[in-house]
Amino acid sequence: MTRRLKVSLALAAAAIAAVATAAAFAGTTATPGITKTSVTIGGTFPLTGAAQLYGVIPKAENAYFQYVNAHGGVNGRKINFKVYDDGYNPAQTVPLTKKLVQQDHVFAVYGSLGTAPILATRDYLNKLKVPQVLVATGDSYWATQYKKYPWTIGFQPDYPGESKVYGQFINSKVPQAKIGVLMQDDAYGQNYYDGLVAGLGDSKSKIVDVEKYDATQTDVSQQVVKLRASGANVFALFALPTQTIDALVVATKIGWKPTTFINNVSASPLFMGLAQKSGANVQGDITATYVYDVINNPNTATAKLYKSILATYDKGADPTDSNNIYGVASAWTFVQALKAAGPNPTRQGLMDALTSMRNVVNPFLYPGIKINTSGTDHFVIDQQILQQFRGPAWVPFGHLFGNAK
Amino acid sequence: MAVSQLTRTLVPTIRIRWSAWIVPALLAGGCIFLVVGSIQSSLFAQQTVSGLANGGIYASLAVALVLIYRATEVINFAQGALATFTTFVAWQLLQWGLSYWPTFVLTLAIAFALGVIVELVAIRPVERRGNVLTVVIASIGLLILLEGAVGWIWKPTVRFMPSPFPLHFWHVGGVAFSSQDIGTIGVSIASVVVLWAFFRFTKLGLAMRAAAVRPHAARLVGVRVSWLLSLGWGLAATLGAVAGLLVAPNPSVQLSPSMMDGILIYAFAAAVLGGLESSIGAVVAGLAIGVVLSLLGSYVSWVTPQLQLPAAFVLMLIVLLVKPSGLFGRTTVRKV
Amino acid sequence: MRTSLGIRAGVIGLAAVVIAVLPLALSDYNRTQGADVAVFFMAILGLNIVTGYTGQISIGHGAFMAIGGYTTAILTHEHGWNDVATLPISALVGFAAGVVVGLPALRFRGAYLALVTFAVALAVPQIAKNYSGFTGGTEGLQLPQHTGLWLYGAAWLSAAILFVLAWLMLRSRTGRALRAVRDSEVAAASSGVSPAVYKTAAFGVSAAFAAVAGSFYVLTISFVNPDVFGLTLSLYVLIGAVVGGLGSLWGVLVGAAFVQLLPIGLTSSHGLSSQSVPVIFGAIVILVMALVPRGAADLLRVGAALSSRKSQNNSLGLEGR
Repeated sequence: MTRRLKVSLALAAAAIAAVATAAAFAGTTATPGITKTSVTIGGTFPLTGAAQLYGVIPKAENAYFQYVNAHGGVNGRKINFKVYDDGYNPAQTVPLTKKLVQQDHVFAVYGSLGTAPILATRDYLNKLKVPQVLVATGDSYWATQYKKYPWTIGFQPDYPGESKVYGQFINSKVPQAKIGVLMQDDAYGQNYYDGLVAGLGDSKSKIVDVEKYDATQTDVSQQVVKLRASGANVFALFALPTQTIDALVVATKIGWKPTTFINNVSASPLFMGLAQKSGANVQGDITATYVYDVINNPNTATAKLYKSILATYDKGADPTDSNNIYGVASAWTFVQALKAAGPNPTRQGLMDALTSMRNVVNPFLYPGIKINTSGTDHFVIDQQILQQFRGPAWVPFGHLFGNAK
Repeated sequence: MAVSQLTRTLVPTIRIRWSAWIVPALLAGGCIFLVVGSIQSSLFAQQTVSGLANGGIYASLAVALVLIYRATEVINFAQGALATFTTFVAWQLLQWGLSYWPTFVLTLAIAFALGVIVELVAIRPVERRGNVLTVVIASIGLLILLEGAVGWIWKPTVRFMPSPFPLHFWHVGGVAFSSQDIGTIGVSIASVVVLWAFFRFTKLGLAMRAAAVRPHAARLVGVRVSWLLSLGWGLAATLGAVAGLLVAPNPSVQLSPSMMDGILIYAFAAAVLGGLESSIGAVVAGLAIGVVLSLLGSYVSWVTPQLQLPAAFVLMLIVLLVKPSGLFGRTTVRKV
Repeated sequence: MRTSLGIRAGVIGLAAVVIAVLPLALSDYNRTQGADVAVFFMAILGLNIVTGYTGQISIGHGAFMAIGGYTTAILTHEHGWNDVATLPISALVGFAAGVVVGLPALRFRGAYLALVTFAVALAVPQIAKNYSGFTGGTEGLQLPQHTGLWLYGAAWLSAAILFVLAWLMLRSRTGRALRAVRDSEVAAASSGVSPAVYKTAAFGVSAAFAAVAGSFYVLTISFVNPDVFGLTLSLYVLIGAVVGGLGSLWGVLVGAAFVQLLPIGLTSSHGLSSQSVPVIFGAIVILVMALVPRGAADLLRVGAALSSRKSQNNSLGLEGR
């Protein structure tokens, strides 16, 4: 048995050598995924399963690529975007990502969604030096671990940076705050919690109760009831959309009226609308944002362009869903980087472009936000603005704040 | 041999006489505990009410599972997906401008037809040549198909499903509940009463019972067994549709292709714990599971959010080890 | 009987040759897919032992895969073991877990047993998530990267070894005892076979097979977290076992290829509109259950019986399993 294993190990070693040599030769001749007329990229997204609400993002991204293609493409190349459904399950993400690299020969893996799916594929892609760019997750790893994983880069502001501002805001604007935290019991929730603690600084003791839920639990009434019983007058929600909606409804149901902070991921106007229809009072709730506000500015050139892109290339998409504007803003950034990578883009060239952006203004982001990256700064978006729910919609207030570095 | 002795000591055989009073006693004790606890603390009362509301959701689907099991001895994995599908149909009808109650009635009719069609097209051909396990696999295939179909037909987005009950929050003695909570529990209990009356007092119900218990004998006295099986699936799908319409407006559920997945797990547990053949058992067990989950999470500190499900299942396993045919199950003598 | 055995042996031999030669013609990506077929092969083989040969339904074999997968992941990631060296440990831990589940399972039958195993399948990933210091929680653990060829070779070598072990076990007195227990526990007990011992042992062996499958499952992903062992995995193993044919080892390969390759094949032929894949896959499952309720093994048996009828004029369907 062991001898046969050894033989197979030896065979495997020979195969690795062969593949490595082949890859080395392939690398010198042409860049994968690039032809004279096309650039092929791809990503994995949850189109089905519990996280399927994020399934609109790749459609919006594809809509923007179609729009760019219809206007001549990038340096004469049309973008061909392959989307695979991983159902948020790393067991699917890994083979599908290998398929993108080995079968579809993509130039880059773009936009793939979710922390665990990215963690599961990061080693593989970095080993093969395939760009894994503008991943759709706000964990801070993508920016902080760039030395070990130079081929991976995120897009949105990181979670700790966002909740840090909530902590600072509470310190300066909410007198006698007693904070109750509802958080998902994993790295997602922990990232937000750590940011809040950092923002509170010396006033960490203002947190009077922390209740956790498991991602498979969609009913959080037991946690919200306990938070209220703790006497908290500030409610910090670090949860996914479904649990956030439930928590907002339960809080109203039990007659609890705290100052409520909702993390950006779960604060889409769509979710707030559903919470209101289910009986929640969300007036005065606070969140942070970084995308363009199409609801309060429906008639600007940006809003009109955005809506016409969706109407033409992603029929039936809801323009008020902030996931859609997120997708368009992300796709815009990719196109920008591809342009900056020059007429003969290489994988290294794409990474260089993404890590040397200077005061780039993305029209689909909140006005005033400038994208700055460098060899040591891999935070793509690091500015946000607070907004409060007033009347029918979120209304931004105050100044942009930066949170990286 | 040592293992068999070990199992005999670990898993003692319980006499039926003993278990005849243990279940009522257990339930009575549980009720007293909940009432006393609720009088002592409004927080406890609130957690109990939340648990009961969730339990009502599990119970409503569990009753449909029991209905199919009684007729065919099959656990229908597609029960939740059928309910999801019909709830999306209801949402679509509402979008097209139909008002709520006509939609409700029409949806139940569509669900009944869908159940009958599913039995005729997907289940009967499998049942004819296969066994219980092949039918179970077919129902898993149906689950995959229906969930896929919902995701295919209705694009993923946030959808609001109105509740059959007016949106209102009540406060009684420091305890809050919504008309939705009361309605869910009420409807799941009402559906049991209706089912009981149907099987007890109508000719059709009696025929269905006969067909399920003694198919050959029933056929001999002129009952058309195969038609009754289709009818059973139709009724179960209708009950499932009621469950879907009740559940989807709940803020912790929301309309999505996988909305019934989590509920089906507990509904399955409730059906088995209740004894699989008893709809009253399914409702009692469903409510019990809801309350146990809520109280475990609130009061037992080592039961972390992740461990709530395993802990509830361990408790259930203990109950089943004492009473392997469930709380309200009949002990059947098996032929050798 | 002899003729049909000869035909079966021929089919198995042919399959073995094809599996051995196939990687030469496959791309590295498709070799990884082939390794995943071996993963399902081992898991289905294990499930078949307990469901096909002792008649105990398990909807929870994903749980044992999880136990094996985490054994390999923790030993390699935390303790620096060579991943191949973890396989025997994985089998042992899986066996122990199988016995632990198999003991209370003695009390249950049919749907009740299905629920208990279903509960185990749901509980194990939650427990793994809870002890995140040990298992990495939802962020998971990274495992070494292997080429498709290594994964294919190692997984199919293990699958072949497990297949031979299962075949030897089921041909022996043990196999006869298991079948006796399945067909009538009382009759088996009266002829001196203890149903409790055999059923528990079968659960243990079955779980050990599934655990080794789980080890290779995480090696092909080179990552593990609780989401990897969702309920779908258990359901797919069960579908594969029934499609392959319970109570016979000859159809396992068909069952494994069915659940691993069919959804992927449908996905790549549909490209972007992959939303229709589950609809088609679900319909095919129902169709197969209607047309071949006793699985691929039955087709093979019918084929063998047909060809032996030509020479011996045997009647159909009376073949022993």
